[in-house]
Amino acid sequence: MKAFALFKKDFKSEMRTRYAVNALAMFIVVTISVIFFSIGQERINESLTAGLFWVVIFFSAMSGLSRAFVSEEERGTNLTLQLIAGPSTVFTGKLLFNLILVFAMNIVIVVLYSLIFDAFVIKNMVLFVTSFILGNVGLAVSSTIIAAIISKAGAKGTLYPVLSFPILLPLILTSVQLTIFSIDGTKFEEAIVELMIVLSYDVIMIAVSYMLFDFIWKD
Amino acid sequence: MNKKYIFGGIIVTIFLLLTAYLFTQSNIKYETDFTHVIEKQKTVKAAGFWVKDKNYVVDNANKTFTFFMKDEKGNEMKVVYAGPIPNNFQSAQSLVVTGKYHDGCFRAKDILTKCPSKYEQEKAKVQKTEF
Repeated sequence: MKAFALFKKDFKSEMRTRYAVNALAMFIVVTISVIFFSIGQERINESLTAGLFWVVIFFSAMSGLSRAFVSEEERGTNLTLQLIAGPSTVFTGKLLFNLILVFAMNIVIVVLYSLIFDAFVIKNMVLFVTSFILGNVGLAVSSTIIAAIISKAGAKGTLYPVLSFPILLPLILTSVQLTIFSIDGTKFEEAIVELMIVLSYDVIMIAVSYMLFDFIWKD
Repeated sequence: MNKKYIFGGIIVTIFLLLTAYLFTQSNIKYETDFTHVIEKQKTVKAAGFWVKDKNYVVDNANKTFTFFMKDEKGNEMKVVYAGPIPNNFQSAQSLVVTGKYHDGCFRAKDILTKCPSKYEQEKAKVQKTEF
């Protein structure tokens, strides 16, 4: 259970510095309040609501999730990590940490969103929860592997969203569609195609990440 | 070590193919037969013509716009659109409505009007003046 030990180490150091948590919380509060003030009492349609919802999720993820590997690089602890654990163990540990972060972040976003916006009323809860879980897993996996790639580079802050955008685009577009469906109250069976796209995105990203992480990490 | 890459590669190829197939399925389909639209009750793009004998109704209180559409075979259905009358509605040759059939009428989210091209008529005029 080295992977879990790594996760615990990351969790402890995060609790001490609270770097990622603070970045995420600030971003969520700022974006949601900007949207809230600009919309006011106006009732916006479901496609706009779903789109704005995923804009908040995408950019919040971009502001906090790169910490997983960037912090190791900045503190110069990545060589020690290479000594004590194999590449896939390191990746599993980091992935667990990012999964927890993504789920915590998105639950906060969903709660704030449903409190603030009248238009964000979900009619099909089962569909929403399923797409939410699948979408979060995809987001966590992609953001972890991209964080590993950019941690070696110079301009980390800008490179992260730039590199993430094309990789996350299919996931985000399908998730926006699924969010529209769940606000609309579309039946579960009718959204099965979109759910399968998100599921296969998750499987592809997990398989590719575990295959390619060896090369990124050994370098 | 090598097995991992072969196994992973197979998984990735299978799911890439599956995604490619699913992407072709996810688009909203065109439907020119209204009997299918009524049977399926799915979100479709229904193409047809406005029935001019039955006039349209604009309900300002509920902000809806109701009219009747027919397809090439003459099947009719009632269309309810939550919004104002689209431009060029009266002069449209054919219509494409996006939405779902539900509770005895077609709930349209979007109406596309196909109008006679004004450029083709101008071309005809130019030809007339030349000869």
